[in-house]
Amino acid sequence: MAGSIVTLKGIDKTFYRGKEPIHVLEKLDLDVPEGSFEALMGPSGSGKSTLLNIIAGLDRPSSGTVTVGGADLTKMSDNQLAKWRSQTIGFVFQSFNLIPVLTAAQNVELPLLLTSLNGAERKKRVATALRVVGLEDRMDHYPRQLSGGQEQRVAIARAIVNDPKIIVADEPTGDLDRKSADDVLTLMEKLNKELGKTIFMVTHDPAASGRAKVQRMLDKGALQ
Amino acid sequence: MNLATYARRNMFRRRGRTIWTMIAIALTVLIFCLIRTVLVSWEGSAEDAAQDRLASRHKVSFTMNLPLKYITDVRAVDGVVGATYANWFGAKDPLKRVPFMAGLAVDKDSFFEVSKEFSVDPAQLADWKATKNGVILGDILAEKLETGVGKTLKIESDIYPGDWEFKVAGIYTPNRKTADRMTMVMHWDMLNDDPRNAWGKDRLGWMLVNIKDSTRSAEVSKAIDRKFDEMDDQTLTMSERQFALGFVGALAAVLDALGYVSVGILLIMVLILANTVAMSVRERTNEYGVLRAIGFTPRHVATFILGESILVALAGGLLGVLLTFLLINNLAGPALVKQGGFFTFFHTPGWLMGLALLIALIVGVFAGLFPALRASRLRVTDALRRVD
Repeated sequence: MAGSIVTLKGIDKTFYRGKEPIHVLEKLDLDVPEGSFEALMGPSGSGKSTLLNIIAGLDRPSSGTVTVGGADLTKMSDNQLAKWRSQTIGFVFQSFNLIPVLTAAQNVELPLLLTSLNGAERKKRVATALRVVGLEDRMDHYPRQLSGGQEQRVAIARAIVNDPKIIVADEPTGDLDRKSADDVLTLMEKLNKELGKTIFMVTHDPAASGRAKVQRMLDKGALQ
Repeated sequence: MNLATYARRNMFRRRGRTIWTMIAIALTVLIFCLIRTVLVSWEGSAEDAAQDRLASRHKVSFTMNLPLKYITDVRAVDGVVGATYANWFGAKDPLKRVPFMAGLAVDKDSFFEVSKEFSVDPAQLADWKATKNGVILGDILAEKLETGVGKTLKIESDIYPGDWEFKVAGIYTPNRKTADRMTMVMHWDMLNDDPRNAWGKDRLGWMLVNIKDSTRSAEVSKAIDRKFDEMDDQTLTMSERQFALGFVGALAAVLDALGYVSVGILLIMVLILANTVAMSVRERTNEYGVLRAIGFTPRHVATFILGESILVALAGGLLGVLLTFLLINNLAGPALVKQGGFFTFFHTPGWLMGLALLIALIVGVFAGLFPALRASRLRVTDALRRVD
């Protein structure tokens, strides 16, 4: 059994609506082994996205410790977290979130602009990432010239171009038709199996969940 | 690609909106420059008035005359190196080729000695002095009246009835850009000896006084006025600048108001750009969330927004300065000066265009600062949730 790449201990997350506290996560513990492909399911408002955001270093818990890839996220400043995210995490969003004024290749290149790689090296990496997702022939297309499935594959190329250890995906098939969703899930399986990426996916879709190695259920802020 | 590519592409993301904003900024810069040019041109001519020259008129009103002998007394005042006198002739062109011209009846021996801003060919000046009905015209006035040296000129007057016939003896050119080029200078003697001026015989309109030391102008002014304190006709002596400003007392208030309007124009510029930037930022909040998620820092986001705001402002500012250069300095300005009248020069100086650009830059910073700070302070998760 591989060691844990994500370890959450005693996580509480409380939001406030006015003065009224809303406990989204309560005393939550989680271990995600390196190289796993996990799906997190649960009803709306159960705290799935909050948990994903905490793992990805986008949000901080109210209490508890978060260790991802050996780093204690609760001790990092915002800028340290930003740098850590750029090196460790790849993001895949439900609505793709590509920048419409940039081509597919430029969208994929965006995270690399924060590195010290030169233009030629960045170009090589972009080409590799787009080849992995099967879109090397769409490099110069703008998002509006791509189908939904293709857009999500470009987003996945953007997520892996920095060679992160973990990919977090929030409803990656939520905006796709069945066929495109299957293609995206097959691609994620490939990233997990062939490139050894740890994938943590939030989904409502049982078909998507079924493609993961581990299924977890979150309800009322606690893992079932 | 680099970060500037992203910033540049964003600038023209809503092409129409950005272009209209730039045009709006360009027009406000043009209007700002136009207003300031009016002020600069007017104040410039007043400021450019000779520092070492005083003007002395009747204490009650400019329209009242003074005894001719006053000029002798003024010339004797300590600190005065030269003095001349003139009367307002109220000249007008019977053929209406010019809407307005200044007609001065002057002392032929001293006027051009004191009024150094007019340059006259010595031979023409000598001829004029020897010709009682001779006139010397400003170069633009001569052109407008389609006349030249040696020709006869018929002029009417608002004050003295009937036709007045003159011989054009010379043309003067300006020695400084603010000197009026629409003036007709005739002999004081001709007016004084004419029966139509019987009521104003041996009386002068005002005196222009050259002083030795411009720092003593207040002192010399007082000395002149003191000389006539006990007389029936008392004088009011002031700097030539004040004298010039006195002609346009009401207009000075309008010019002041224009100054305030030009500041208001700048506020409009800020509002236009701030609105555009705020709309863009709102539309892209989710996108900024994505950038933050993949590792961009709040400073990156603020720089993108601020940079875009400054670029739009500067592009609009540059366009405005270009319009100013073309429309004011190359089209309207020369036309206004050529037309004669109020403006002896009308030209937006380089420093004013530079100032307009600097203001555009500051406007860009102001308009972008608040949205940039707000967007950079947004929590990533809140930004990602935002879909406008």
